Formats: sequence, C-alpha cells, structure tokens
Amino acid sequence: MEARTKPASKLSLRVLDLAGPTYYGLLVIFATVAGIGLLAAWDMEHNGHWVTGMDNQIVWGIPHVFAIFLILGASGALNVASMSSVFGRSAYKPLAPFSALLAIAMLVGGLAVLVLDLGRPDRLLVAMTSYNFKSIFAWNIFLYTGLLVVAGVYIWTMLEHRMNRFAGAAGLVAFAWRLALTTGTGLIFGFLIAREAYDSAVLAPLFIALSFAIGLAVFILVLTALDASGVVPLGSDMTRRLGRLLGIFAATVLYFTTVQHLTGLYAAEHAAVERFILRDGGAITAIFWVGQVLVGGLLPLALMFLGEGAASRSRVGLAAGFVVIGAMALLYVAIIGGQAFPLSIFPGMEVSSSFFDGEIATYSPSLREGLLGLGGISIAATIVLIGSRVLRFLPKTLADRP
Amino acid sequence: MSKYGMVIDLDRCNGCNACVIACKVEHNTANGIHFTKILEREVGTYPNANRQFVPVLCNHCEDAPCVEVCPTKASYSREKDGIVLVDWDKCIGCGACVLACPYDQRFQVKDESTGFLGSLVDFIKADTKRAPSGVIAKCDFCYHRVDEGRAPACVETCPTDARMFGLVDEALRTETDKEFPALDRVVSRNNAFSLLPDKNTRPNVYYIG
Repeated sequence: MEARTKPASKLSLRVLDLAGPTYYGLLVIFATVAGIGLLAAWDMEHNGHWVTGMDNQIVWGIPHVFAIFLILGASGALNVASMSSVFGRSAYKPLAPFSALLAIAMLVGGLAVLVLDLGRPDRLLVAMTSYNFKSIFAWNIFLYTGLLVVAGVYIWTMLEHRMNRFAGAAGLVAFAWRLALTTGTGLIFGFLIAREAYDSAVLAPLFIALSFAIGLAVFILVLTALDASGVVPLGSDMTRRLGRLLGIFAATVLYFTTVQHLTGLYAAEHAAVERFILRDGGAITAIFWVGQVLVGGLLPLALMFLGEGAASRSRVGLAAGFVVIGAMALLYVAIIGGQAFPLSIFPGMEVSSSFFDGEIATYSPSLREGLLGLGGISIAATIVLIGSRVLRFLPKTLADRP
Repeated sequence: MSKYGMVIDLDRCNGCNACVIACKVEHNTANGIHFTKILEREVGTYPNANRQFVPVLCNHCEDAPCVEVCPTKASYSREKDGIVLVDWDKCIGCGACVLACPYDQRFQVKDESTGFLGSLVDFIKADTKRAPSGVIAKCDFCYHRVDEGRAPACVETCPTDARMFGLVDEALRTETDKEFPALDRVVSRNNAFSLLPDKNTRPNVYYIG
C-alpha cells in the first residue's frame, strides 16, 4: 500500500501501514495484557494491598518502578522532538510528531499504573480538586497532566500546516515543561529527608539524565521494530546519530550515579545505606552493579563507542535494550532498596523490636504487581498503535539520503 | 501551635507492651498495625551493658513532614491544638507520608480486618471509627478522649506511669485540660531529649531517663 503524504508539507509523514492481521493481532495482545493489568489492580483494590508484596516498610513496590519508568520515558521521548524544535537539529525533525505521540502514550500508561496502585484510586477526584501546594506530589499532578496538554498542542502545531509557525515555541514550552516534570519526579525522592537513600538534590539531574536515556532507548527500540517490519526504513546515518546520543545519555546517567554515591559515602549519616547498596545489600547490591552499572551503563557505552561496527543497527538496538534494563535496575535499587534500609531513629545504636524495626526489609513482588506494571506498558503500546494508525505520526522514511 | 505533648520516662518503661494493646483496642486497628510500639536498644558496653525499652509513637511534630508532603491535605495539624491527624475521606493512600515520616509512625491499612490471634478474637470498640482499607492511619493522641479531658489510652493503661500526657506549656491550659499536667518543667528539669532533632521536625514527644 502506498503511503499517503500531504503535498507541500514540510514533513513527509505516514500512517502505520501494517497488514490487517498483524495490526489487529498486536492490538489484541496489547489490549489483553492491559486488561489483565486492570484486573490485577481491581483484585488489589478489592482485597486490600495485603495481597501484594508491599507492606509498611516497602510502601512503593514494582508498580511504582514501572510507573516512574514510563513517566521518565515519556519525558525523554519528547526530548527527541525538542532536538529539532529547540536545538535546530533538522535531522530529527521527521521524528518529532511520533516522539510526542510516544510521550503521551507512555505518560498515560505510567499514570494509569500510578493511580491504580494508590490505596484509594477511587479518590482520584479528591487528588485533582484538593491541593497542598507545599507538596511536590501536588505539583507533580499539574506537571503530569500539563505535559499531556503541552504535548497535544505541540502535535497540533506540527501536524496542522497553518500552525507550523508556532511549532518552535510549542517545542520550547514542551522542553521546559518536561524538564520541570522530570525535576519534580526526582525531587519526590530528593525531598524525602527521612530516608538516608534519598534526601539528595542530585536525584533531580540524575532523573533528568535517566529520562533522556529511557526515552531515547524506547524510541530506538520502536524505530528498530518499525524498520524490521518494513514500515519505516531506518538508515545507517540516523542509526549512528541515535546510537551515539544514547551512549552519551548512558554515560551521563553513570556520571550522576557516581556523584550520588560518592557524596553519600562522604556524608557520615549516609554511609550505612551506601554500604548496604554498594556492598552488603545482597540482591539489591547485585542489581546495582550488574543491572544498573554493567548492563545499563558500561555495556551500552562499549557497544556504541568501541570496536568496528559501532553504528550498526543490531548494536544500537542491543544497546537500547540494555539501557532499558539498566534503567529498570536503577529504579528498583532506588525505590525498593531505598525503602528496605531501616530508618535510623537512634543514630549509632542498635535497635530492635518484635515488629522487625531496625532490620532490612524484605520484598517479594507479587504477580499482581508485575501484571499491573506490564498493563501500563501495554496501555502505552495500544495508544501508540492506534494513534499512529489513525493519524500521520510516522516519518515516511529515515533511510540515508542518496 | 502544638498544645499537647508526651513525656516518656525510659527508666520506668519495662517493655510490657500494655500500651501497644491498649492502643490497638482503643482504635480497633487493622491487622499488623500498631500506632505505638516498644523498641529495644542496647546501651553501654559490657560489663555495664543494659537493655532499654523505648516506646515510640507519632511525635505530632510542630513542623510535620507528613503534613507538608500530603498532596490532598488529608494529613493535617488540628488548628486548636496541633494534633496531627489524617482525614480518611481525603486520603488517597499514596503513601508519601509513610516515606516522609522520619519516625516510621505512619501505616497504610492494607487489610480492614482487625482479628487477633488468627481471627479467633476480635478487639472491637464499637464507638471508635475504624480506618478504612487503603488509607493511612496513625496515632492521633486519642484526640477523642483528650477532647473530653481524658488522657490517651496508652497513658492511662501504663502500669508504671512511664508515659505522661499533658500541656507543652502551662500558659495554654483551658477548662477542658484540668486533668493534664504541664510538661514544660518536666522537660527542662530532666534534660529531656526528642528523637532526631537534626531533622528539624520539632517533635512533641520527649524522653527522659
């Protein structure tokens, strides 16, 4: 089927032209997984959160890992569009509309998981009408819903040729908004002075760097899939650009991770939790060194900057996959590990109780929590699938120019 | 401004946990939730090592981080006396306050049942409102008793009078506070300390001994 393009448009865009069985088959799969996730959420709501692995020590579990992954990914995915609108890199211009669609989809998926994991998701209306403006959480409600509006307007300025002249301004607003959103997400943890693993301003730039990495990694994986299915050809020039950018983002995450833990080691009050994460935490320590540092940081760097064929599609795709795994590992260590370490109510003293105070909390995620998280990813995938089928979001081609 | 506080005498507490049970009965708390707990800590070194029992509860801080972090204002400080409470009709159960509390004294209700000993015995106090599932619950200084001029359940139950509940300042006394002692002199004369003063939460629970 020939791609439909709009004549005299500055962007050559197309709809998702997948054969019917493939398209509807994917739709059924994504919708089914999303439905199972919703069922899992209903089960948790109906029976109470005691059916999960979360307790009063591990308040935020696997669903939060998925939710924050998707929210940060949404912010980072929108960054691809910003590279053309804000930084004037014309090579990324064809990717801009799809990046905004991906951002909206991932944000919706992440927010769905976040809301459904609440103790009282039926009180969402209360959260949207009663605000405590001293709380970073309240500000994040505005930032998250606002990004949906901002991204929507941005898409409008890109797809409606009469609004094209406003695309630059919309892109600038989108860029600033996503920086604020990602900073706000990082400061959720940075403002938690009670927890030794958090309580750090460096979490804000770390989360910004992480959002860049996740967003681009997911974007690369989607583009790789589109190229493999013959929908949007992906040339080596674009592959090389995206791969190198991914390597830079992975290095930035490693840098801020290093800064975070070095400063933690220097502060006496954080030394114990740093020892837990870096050396004595068992599974948490393994996930940190293997998942976060090796798989999520060093391997992508090696793939992108070492050896012959660093820009090959397979290496870039592999690096993107590693970055996604590393990001999940980072969030798991940060969210679960940070909560597992006991509060130090009597600094310098050993404290115990029959209620397991003073002990490292254990966490065994339940199937329900994993299904809810996967449901969020499937919601995002469904939105991308339907959106790119209905409207022209995809670039016609990303092949190298002859 | 906070009006009420508590002083706990660590030399008197013998770790009997009567206050824990009294609180559980008074509030009909859900499984696994104890608004007050007894921690044990080792003090000194051999041959002068000792074990000390330390009751902990919500400190009803003047600058409560749980109040600051709550997105819906469900967690709030009662205007007339500073007792930190949770409005269960506004609480969305996000858990932010649980993580924000440096004293680990906030709990999410994950299971509404209050059965004890494998549900063979139910501790039921008919006139106490139970926290619904999903919301955050915590020590409320038994404000329903305080409003009637009665001390909190844990204070009344303690067999060694290790807990004292009263006014943080004598100048704040009103008609309903006839039974409550003023704690300011107890705090100043006994070199009382509070938990985690470096967090600047200005807690209203003090420890002596």
